[in-house]
Amino acid sequence: MAHDLIARFRRHDRTALARLVTLVARGESFPELDAMLAEDPAMKPRVVAVTGSGGVGKSSLVGRLLETIRQDGKTVAVLACDPQSPLSGGAILGDRFRMGSSIYDGLFIRSLAAVGGRGAVADHLPRLLRLLAHYGFEVVLIETVGAGQGDVAVQQAAEVVVLLVQPEAGDELQWEKAGILEIADVVVVNKGDLPGAEKTVAQVRGMLDLAHASPVAVLRASAKTGEGVPELWRHLQSLSPKVVPNRLNVSLLFDRVAEEAARRAAQLWSQHDAAVCEIVANWQEGRLAESAAVDALLNTLRSHPEA
Amino acid sequence: MSHPLRIVLAKVGLDGHDRGIKVVARALRDAGMHVIYPGLWLTPEAVVRTVADEDAEWLGLSLLSGAHMTLVPRVLQLLRDASLEHVGVMVGGIIPEADIPKLREMGVAKVFGPGTPLDEIVGFLREPRQVAHGS
Repeated sequence: MAHDLIARFRRHDRTALARLVTLVARGESFPELDAMLAEDPAMKPRVVAVTGSGGVGKSSLVGRLLETIRQDGKTVAVLACDPQSPLSGGAILGDRFRMGSSIYDGLFIRSLAAVGGRGAVADHLPRLLRLLAHYGFEVVLIETVGAGQGDVAVQQAAEVVVLLVQPEAGDELQWEKAGILEIADVVVVNKGDLPGAEKTVAQVRGMLDLAHASPVAVLRASAKTGEGVPELWRHLQSLSPKVVPNRLNVSLLFDRVAEEAARRAAQLWSQHDAAVCEIVANWQEGRLAESAAVDALLNTLRSHPEA
Repeated sequence: MSHPLRIVLAKVGLDGHDRGIKVVARALRDAGMHVIYPGLWLTPEAVVRTVADEDAEWLGLSLLSGAHMTLVPRVLQLLRDASLEHVGVMVGGIIPEADIPKLREMGVAKVFGPGTPLDEIVGFLREPRQVAHGS
């Protein structure tokens, strides 16, 4: 069954791709899948994350980008993240709504729920990206949930981070604040057809140059009219792999460390391991700070090499 | 449920009435399901492509246009063509009583008319899956 799924995936069976995306997004793993993901893909896609606050026009701009990418004849996968309710676990995934209903074989769109409080992207993003690379997509677009000012998790996985802002989004001081502007490789002033767009472009440029004679491009675009979108796509392609650090592999590795540590700790806990139980009890009763408890657990894991 | 159920709720054809489908989407979200809503005026081809790429277990079609006897069979055929027989299909909206048995025979698992309590839809989706449609 698992073997068959991988074989079908390698033959570019779309249903197998869709199923594997579901399994990887759930954090599932099996030997045939891990073996494939461990291989280096024949070709690395250009991975672009589109982030920005809710309502700034991420889905609409991605929809426009898809038109341009299609004209270029490139294959593209979109991972569209929307928030999941922390209460019910449910979600309404509505990003496809604004991406148009164009269907062609070179386009794959998947909606994913991002668990609240864990960043603006779905879990297991590095493995998902690797899976899409193995399928052979030339471009992968990640749309984050409406990200706040401090959300920088997306930088862990994407080669290029596009930050969307809009005119009249606050005074100049907004751009002085630390956070999301610092991780952007490209800033796009969307809704560029609205009055005030040019002023916002100037403000963001001023802020970036003030910070570090920045190579970050500030572009003006409009998802409504399509203006500026071909220029954005050209710019995204022009960023050479040299200036784009490969964050994917390192992040994948660190992800695995975290997963493995969590798995082993949970296993020891379920086996009523004395040391683990004592640390947990001390933490629960407030005798041990969280950071100290984490350190103690990591040390305990080290003394249980094969938990 | 160990994993949230994934369901595509879709409007197919020339039909702009989306109040009902949004109410259902909200109820299913509150019941812990992942609802993919791709918007209005979709072609049957776009609906089926969405179901395929999203790896959905269920498809809910809403029709208030009177075109259900044309569009629903088309969607069911395209699902079969795409080897998606395992996806359950439910229909909601304005469906005359006389058409319900015909839709059921084509492979629609359930038809929900106006005024259906939301709990009934949630309960239906939580039941162990019935036989999928197919030829």
